[in-house]
Amino acid sequence: MTTFALLVLPLLATLGAACSRSTRLNQRVTLLAGIAHLITSLYCLVTRSNPFPAQWWLAVDPLAAFFLTILSHTFVLVTLYSPGFLQRMEGPEYDRAKRIFYPALNFYLLANTLVLVVQQFALLWVVLELTTFGLVPLIYFYRTKESLEAVWKYLFLVSIGLVFLFVGILFLSLSARGVVGYSAFVVNRMTEAAPQLNPLWVKAAFVFVLVGLSAKIGLAPMHPGDIDATSNAPAPVAALMAGSLRSTAIAVLLRFYQVVAQTEVQPFAQRLLIFGGILSLAIAAIYLWRSRNYKRLLAYSSVEHVGIIALGVGIGGVALLGALLHLLFNSFGKAGLFFMAGNIHRTYGSREIEPITGLARRLPWSGFVWALAFFYIAGTPPFGIFFSELLLLKGMIHGANWLALALFLVLLMVIFIGLSRAVLRMLQTPGVLPQKSDESSERFNVSHALGLYAMAASVPLALFQPAALFDSLNAILASCGVKL
Amino acid sequence: MINVLTILFCLTLIYLAVTTRLSAYVLILVLQGTLVAGVHTLEFFRDFAWPHLAVAAGVLLVRTVLIPSYIAKIIRDLDMRHGDRTRRYRPGFLIQMAAVVIGAFVVSHELSTMAPVDIIPLGAAIAGMAAGGLLIVRRRLLLAHIVGFLIIENGLFLLGIGVRAEMPWIIELAGLLDLFVLVFLMGIAINHLKSHFPEGESDTLTGLRE
Repeated sequence: MTTFALLVLPLLATLGAACSRSTRLNQRVTLLAGIAHLITSLYCLVTRSNPFPAQWWLAVDPLAAFFLTILSHTFVLVTLYSPGFLQRMEGPEYDRAKRIFYPALNFYLLANTLVLVVQQFALLWVVLELTTFGLVPLIYFYRTKESLEAVWKYLFLVSIGLVFLFVGILFLSLSARGVVGYSAFVVNRMTEAAPQLNPLWVKAAFVFVLVGLSAKIGLAPMHPGDIDATSNAPAPVAALMAGSLRSTAIAVLLRFYQVVAQTEVQPFAQRLLIFGGILSLAIAAIYLWRSRNYKRLLAYSSVEHVGIIALGVGIGGVALLGALLHLLFNSFGKAGLFFMAGNIHRTYGSREIEPITGLARRLPWSGFVWALAFFYIAGTPPFGIFFSELLLLKGMIHGANWLALALFLVLLMVIFIGLSRAVLRMLQTPGVLPQKSDESSERFNVSHALGLYAMAASVPLALFQPAALFDSLNAILASCGVKL
Repeated sequence: MINVLTILFCLTLIYLAVTTRLSAYVLILVLQGTLVAGVHTLEFFRDFAWPHLAVAAGVLLVRTVLIPSYIAKIIRDLDMRHGDRTRRYRPGFLIQMAAVVIGAFVVSHELSTMAPVDIIPLGAAIAGMAAGGLLIVRRRLLLAHIVGFLIIENGLFLLGIGVRAEMPWIIELAGLLDLFVLVFLMGIAINHLKSHFPEGESDTLTGLRE
């Protein structure tokens, strides 16, 4: 039943949506697949059960269960938001894009699930490519010159990144020569054999893996393709990319890190991750000040958050726990932000910051959720990101990483000011355009409810720390060589 | 024999440096696909098994027939037979390519002192990957970028041989299928790009800057 909900149902939903011409039916089927996936993922997370036979190359371990939950939760939010979005896309120019939307969405769920449950490193590379295929038609939804350019750059950069990843996998296999056979090139066997691996090849493998995955994660300096794609994709797709695709790619990175953490190469890998994290924060800090497009602003905010996550993984200890929680809470907040960005784009017809004035008055609900979401991603209490960043700080202080701590705090401050400048300008600058009567009284709708729910949900999770979640997180930490 | 084929692979890289015609790029892809399939067949000849033959057949089909003919179709459909007119032949590219090939073999030799690798196939693999990257950097035509990516992929395939990595055959076939779909998607993107950017050059893709 678990296997059915995780893999067969998304596959059937993909095929069904591809064959069906009824948008309403496709919506229901996709929502059903998403909810079944979410329930199953939560079940696996809570019970820590693996539905696949032990000899298979597929398994749901705590890492997979945690990331599957993030994936399906974001997917359900996006599926609930999508009907309203598609309804607004009127005109024959969107007909084809609307027909492809649900099959591609379901394929995205299937491909990401496969990435999270596959344990064999080479097969992992094969299925990681599938996630790109599912995403391309979704990014190209508007069929404009800009979205086409974004698709091309994303496709090209991610493909080059995957070449690097494959070189990393080959080097990892080389490190295991004479220790682990190719048939056992799976995560748990490699982790057990890790102390016997050739450290030189492990080191080279990790460099290539990190660079290769950076394009997919959106980590600097491989972030440009991801920025273009996220900022030109429609709101639900951008939410999906920021909330779940990056998480999936980070899960793949953690799979390699699980092996590296058991070797003498771990300190080197940590330094590399800290460098990548700080570099991403610095890039985000610079471009958040320069960007004149609010969707690009959100995309750079994602670069900032993956930088924080990489930094947390690199610092290790309690900061790794902070990084995992940050992944979860970031996925919650990004959904709300991109949904509101979609509402703003619909009303103002622009992605530029300049023409967006009087947002708080013209779109009171969207403006309110937008402002709240800004405070959410800026790490303001009582939202979850505040607690995850606190754990990161604690980790840096415990590990005496003073330089990283200083850079982290300074860059966060620069980012906060840069982001607030744009967000507050959009909210509070008096409107210069005449208000249309039908837009003056915005009603509370599903997108606002979803945004508010996502942000509110992070508060009890961070405050009460449910045992089921934290037991799984502790198991992930243990697999990365961290004991709290 | 494997060494002979991989050296021939390096010679195709030199040819890559002296041509700007798109039809020549397609020919290079066909030649490289045949050489790579040949290397794969020979590598596993001693330990013959039907799955190895299936992979070799898959390589031959995808890399020498399907992908080159698809790229040739794009060239015909978009009337791009003129080649990369924006860049005339310059000897600098040839010098760079020669340096890449020599450098790759030096690196391969150094690596052989640290791990059991085959120097010539590994050198050819590194050269192929670097040459593909160089083509992407030096040529402005988007189609030339796809060719560069495919040359990197050919180098990657040789790298597996060079470091004697024996992947399960099902993964090799799945990887080939992935490659084909990827090139197919890139082809579709190029087709659409041509209507927005008639030059089909990377320089024109500047709409998404800060």
